[in-house]
Parts: sequence; structure tokens; C-alpha cells
Amino acid sequence: MTEYAIRITRLSYSYPDGTKALEDVDLDVRVGERVALVGPSGAGKSTLLLHLNGVLSGKGMIRVMGKPLGDTALREIRRHVGLVFQNPDDQLFCPTVFEDVAFGPLNLSISPQEIPHRVERALRDVGLDQSIRNRPSHHLSHGERKRVALASVLIMEPDILALDEPSSNLDPRNRRHLIELVASLPSTLVLATHDLGMVMALCPRTALMDRGKIWADGETRRILADARLMEEHGLEVP
Amino acid sequence: MRHNFIDRYANLDSPLHVLEARTKILGYLSLIAALLLMPGRNDVVLLVYAFVAAILVGASQVPLGYIAGRSLVILPFVLLAGIAAPWTNSFDGARFMALATRSFLSVTILLLMTSTTPFPELLRGLQKLGCPRILILNLGFLYRYLFVLTEEVLRMRQARDCRRAGRAPPRVELKLLGSMLGSLVLRSFERAERMYQAMLSRGYAGEFPVLAPRRFTWRDLTFLAGIALLIVSSFRYAGR
Amino acid sequence: MHIPDGFLSGRIWLSLDALSSVTVLYAARRLRVQASGHTVPLMGVLSAFVFAAQLLNFPVLGGTSGHLVGSALLAVLLGPLAAFLTMVTVLIAQALFLQDGGLAALGANIFNIAAVPVLSGYGIFRLAGGTQSHGRRLAIASFLSGWVSIELCALCCALELSLSGAIPLRVGLPAMTGYHAILGVAEGILTSSVLVFLSRPDLIRRGAGSRLPVADWVAVVALVAVPCAILVLAGSSNLPDPLQRLLASADPVYGRQGESEPFLSPLRYREFLRALTLIAGAIGSAYFLGRLMRGKRSKL
Repeated sequence: MTEYAIRITRLSYSYPDGTKALEDVDLDVRVGERVALVGPSGAGKSTLLLHLNGVLSGKGMIRVMGKPLGDTALREIRRHVGLVFQNPDDQLFCPTVFEDVAFGPLNLSISPQEIPHRVERALRDVGLDQSIRNRPSHHLSHGERKRVALASVLIMEPDILALDEPSSNLDPRNRRHLIELVASLPSTLVLATHDLGMVMALCPRTALMDRGKIWADGETRRILADARLMEEHGLEVP
Repeated sequence: MRHNFIDRYANLDSPLHVLEARTKILGYLSLIAALLLMPGRNDVVLLVYAFVAAILVGASQVPLGYIAGRSLVILPFVLLAGIAAPWTNSFDGARFMALATRSFLSVTILLLMTSTTPFPELLRGLQKLGCPRILILNLGFLYRYLFVLTEEVLRMRQARDCRRAGRAPPRVELKLLGSMLGSLVLRSFERAERMYQAMLSRGYAGEFPVLAPRRFTWRDLTFLAGIALLIVSSFRYAGR
Repeated sequence: MHIPDGFLSGRIWLSLDALSSVTVLYAARRLRVQASGHTVPLMGVLSAFVFAAQLLNFPVLGGTSGHLVGSALLAVLLGPLAAFLTMVTVLIAQALFLQDGGLAALGANIFNIAAVPVLSGYGIFRLAGGTQSHGRRLAIASFLSGWVSIELCALCCALELSLSGAIPLRVGLPAMTGYHAILGVAEGILTSSVLVFLSRPDLIRRGAGSRLPVADWVAVVALVAVPCAILVLAGSSNLPDPLQRLLASADPVYGRQGESEPFLSPLRYREFLRALTLIAGAIGSAYFLGRLMRGKRSKL
């Protein structure tokens, strides 16, 4: 039984054209912990998230659920880490909602008989009506699409949930539902966002990122109240 | 462009809608092939096919105006053939009518197939019939992202129109169109990259998983049998 | 340019369907071997792009309008194999969504709009030195590949229509190639504007820069040789009997004489009108008969 869900040690990553995206990042997250990643645009938050499930691989050591990323098969990793992208249109690429939500489990070789039940449960968990199953995603509203994207990841029952700007472009009501939904989930959470209200509602711990580095890491209330720190990295005290 | 121009009438509940996708694909394709391969100038047989097509259109619950309107796409070709007719070996009004009728009936039958089947189901039917996986995937992506792209195009066009003062010379228009298309291509590349990352994140390892289509019932059997009967008897009659 | 059903003779559309099916199956198999993981989503998104782009019209010759076809552009960006399959996808979608091009004629349309323009676009671009170039040289190479691809497409179209007896070469060839010479200019300009705008030599290197393996060259030769064989066969009567019977009498209307007496000739005006009314009545009744069978009215 590992204590740490994620251990990142001295992670560095540069884009193919040479720009440094991450520089010596250290981050340890305990099982069940909820951490927020805040920082200005371009800080490297999304890039960091993409390292968690092996989509990007940089220099340094990453351990997920105790196992180093290099050793474990990538498919295994993606079973543990569920990543929800910022733009649902990038994440929903199948002709119907059902196929999008079922995509993950089918890839994990879950038996085809069980799939419809899982899909039904996943849709219910995110508060969507079963009737949208056979509709194409472009018939849905932005808020509904965000929920489908979340369902398509939750259905895989990941230990670690990584969310990239989940509340962007959401109206207040949908945003509140989302916060309630995420609050009810037992998984370890890494939340990359500009939405400081959401951070305060969900995450006791916050890591501040800017220009590829982590500048502060600790109790949310303390960090977000530090005006000088916040302004220095292009943020405002909420 | 309304986002439901595809699949607009695909979710109705007519005797034609409930048929399985494979049945419809095979049935309607055979009808078209038979129609086109009908020997000679067999107007009686053509009329019988028209009759059958009319019954099917009526039974499909799809609005007549829609089918009639969409089938007008063949008009430019028909006109071209009509204009060219005096130069052919044999100029005959009836023959031209038969050509136009065949063409019109073919497109009507095509419409019957596509308007009574939701596209994702059509894709699954094609897949089960052996269509290469890459085409099925591509068609799926096209269907999924067409709306997104059309919205982008409309927004770009609006932005372009805001900055324009009247019609520019064609060369400039084309250059503008070129840069619009260029940035659409760029966005497509970027989107494809993000899609790939999303696919990887949900366990994609090179193979796209398959879901089973609807099951074959007695209705499908009856439909196919009816079509087979029609085709065989029309060929025998025409071959006399 | 997308040929509807009814205009091609049985010989032509059946043989082109066969040819295109084989080509598509071959290309699909080769792509599985050669493609990287990124190729699948890229082809998908670019199919949507081409489909959407073809809906963007610009006026040509006052009255008619043209649109970007995109085969040459895709050939440069994706390489011939992936570009071909992407265009096939677009053509299928156009037939199914827009009724642009018939189903039986799909084989012919795939040959005319996917195979020939992609291959020629790819070839001309490389020959014109487009792969390593930028700026003016790139623009010229792109323009040429766009223009030639459209012209060849129109040529094939005209040939098929004339061999089918629907539109004779005397009319079809100048009409098609002439009109498309102008459209080809637009295609060329658009292709080069897009490629110059992108100025991504890395993409071009991956696309048009990729060399076609030997096996595929053999396939290309076959792709050219088989239609030529069809051209020869189309005129000949040396086919086995049952095939002969099926195909010979399958010419639409303007072809050979059919066996039975047509219902509507001799064409005297009044008789024609009466016949037409009867027919319209019969068809109308058939439609309403169908309506009786339509089952419960569901909400639209």
C-alpha cells in the first residue's frame, strides 16, 4: 500500500523547438490528497499534467502509485491516471456520446457485455440523462460536453484524477455542479486552474507554478493570501 | 449551416427506419445497380421501379419536399447531357427522358437510404460489411468534427467580412480565402495533436475498439427478399 | 465534377468500382504498415477540413461558382497514401450527406477526384522541386500541382462520359477541360497560398517529401495501366458471352440499341402528354399508398 500517489523528482521538459516548458519540478502527492496547480497562462501546468500519464516524457523521475513511469506499461498508467482536457471538443472524438464514454473501457479490454452498464452509471454520476447516449457530441451544450468528457474518464475508475481548467467557459450553475461532483469523488486530485474560488472550495493544498517551475507549495489559504507572491506571478488574491 | 442537416430525419419511426443498416445498404445498393444495368430502353421496367420508389418514399415518413429538393443535385449534369444531345449519334427525346429518370431514381433511392439511417449506425453497418477500418474511423471523425469546422469557417468569414469594404478583385479574394484555409489547416494539425493525446490518455494503443450493430430480424429478411424478387423479375421481363 | 448515377455505362462504372475498391483496400493495408499513431486523427480532421472547405464557394465566370478540391494540397501535406484515403473519405461523405456524386459512380469519382489528382499533385510537386523550397519556388510548384491535378481530373471525367455515350467527346472534352482550366487556376492559387502561408517545411517533408516505396510504385503503374486496358476493352466486343450481354445492353440510352420497344415513342405531343399524366397519377398513388403504410406519426 503506497503512501504516495505521485512522486515527481527533478522533472524537466523542453518542446521540440527548444523552449523550456518545465525546469526541475518536484512534486509529491499523497493518496487521497487534493492539490491545486495555479499559475499564469503558459506556466507549464498543462504540460506537467501530460507527464502524469506518460503522454509527454521529460528528464527526471516520475512515480505513479509507487511504480516508476519507465517500467510500467503505458496502458497500466492510463488506467491509474485519468486526465480531463480543457477543451471537451478535443476529448470527444467519436460519432456518439456512448462511443466516447465507452472508448476508455473498451481499450482496457473490459468485456463488451459490461460496457453498457458502466456507461449508464458514468452518465448518471455526472448528472446526465441517458437519452443523450446516441446523440453526437456536437448536439450538446458546452456544459453537457464537459460532463461527457468527465464521464469518459471517470468510467475508467482512475486512482488519480487530473483536471485541466475544468471550469473554463462554464456558467455559474454548471460550475457549482462540477465543484460538488468533484468534491464527492474519492480519487486523488490534481487540479490545474485559474479558478481560485474552485481551488479554495476543493483543495487544501496549492502549488504555484510559473515559467516552468514551482515557486510555492503549501496550504492553500496561506499561499493565496500572500499578495506579493501572487502578484509576482501574475495572479490576484481572490 | 444548421448542425442537424445530417441525420435530420434519421430518428423517425417508420417501417423503413427500423431496418438494420446492413439491410438498407445492401438492399438499396442492389436496387440502384439493377436500375442502372437494366437492358436497353425498357421504359415499363423503369416505371415499375419508379412506382416502388414512390411507395418507399411514402412509407419512409421523410417529407416529400426534402427528397424532391435534394434530388435536384443531378440537374446540372442532366442539363449538360441535354445540351450535348444534338451532337450524339441518336437524338431522341424519350431516350433522354429515360436517362434523366434513371439518374433521378438513383439519387432518390440513395436518399431513402441515408435519410432513414442515423449516420453512426450506417458506419457500423458498413464496418460489418467489410469496409476498411481506416475509412470508418475517418468518416466518424469527419461526422464528429464537421460541425466544429463549419463553425470556425463561419466565424472566420464573419471576421473577414467585418474588415472588408466591398468586393475585392478576384486575385485578392483568393489570397484571402487562401489564408483562411491556411489557418484552418494549421488548426486542424493542432487539433489532431490534441486528439491524439486524448486518445492516448484513454488507453489507445493503435486499435480502435468495435461495438456491435443492431440485430437482423424478419423485417430485414422480408425487405431483402422483396427487393431480390423485384430485381430478378425485372431482369427476366426485360431480357425477353 | 462528381458524376451522379445514370450517366456512365455499366462497363465503365463496374470496372472503375472494381478498380477503386482494389486500390482502396490496397492503400488501407499499406497505411496500416506505414502510418504513425498521429496519422489517424490527422486524416480524420483533414477530411472534415476538406469537406468544409469544399463548401466555401467563390464565383467563377459570373453565375457558376467553384471551390477548392484539395487533392493536391493533401498530397503535399500528408503524402500520397494518406491523402488518397482522406479524399476517398470525403467523397463517400459527399455522396451520403450531400448526394454529390452517385453510389455506383463512386468508383469513377474516386478515380477521378482522389486517385489521379493526388498522384499527379504529388508527382508534379516533387518534380517542380517543391519539397525543399520556400517562397516563390514553393508557390510555383504548388500552383502547378494544383492546376495539373484539376485538369487531369476533368480529362478523365470527360473520357468516361464520352465512352459511356452520355456526353460525346466533341462537347465534353472542351467543356470540361476548358471550364476546369479556369477552376484549376483558382485551385493552384489556393494551394500555393495555403502552403506558403503555412511555411512549414517540416510538414511538407513528412508529406510530399516521403518517398513512395517500390511496392507502391508498382501499384501506381497498375492504377494507370488498368484504365488504359478498360479504354481498349470498352470499344471491343471480345468479351465472354454472359458478360457481353450484361454490359453491352447496359449502356444508358445513347448507347447500343436495346431489345424492346420503348413505351414512349413515337413521340406525338398529345399522346406524350396523356402518357405523362397517367404516369404521374400512378406514381402519385404509389406515394400515397406508401403513406398508408408509414406507421405511427412520430414527432419530428
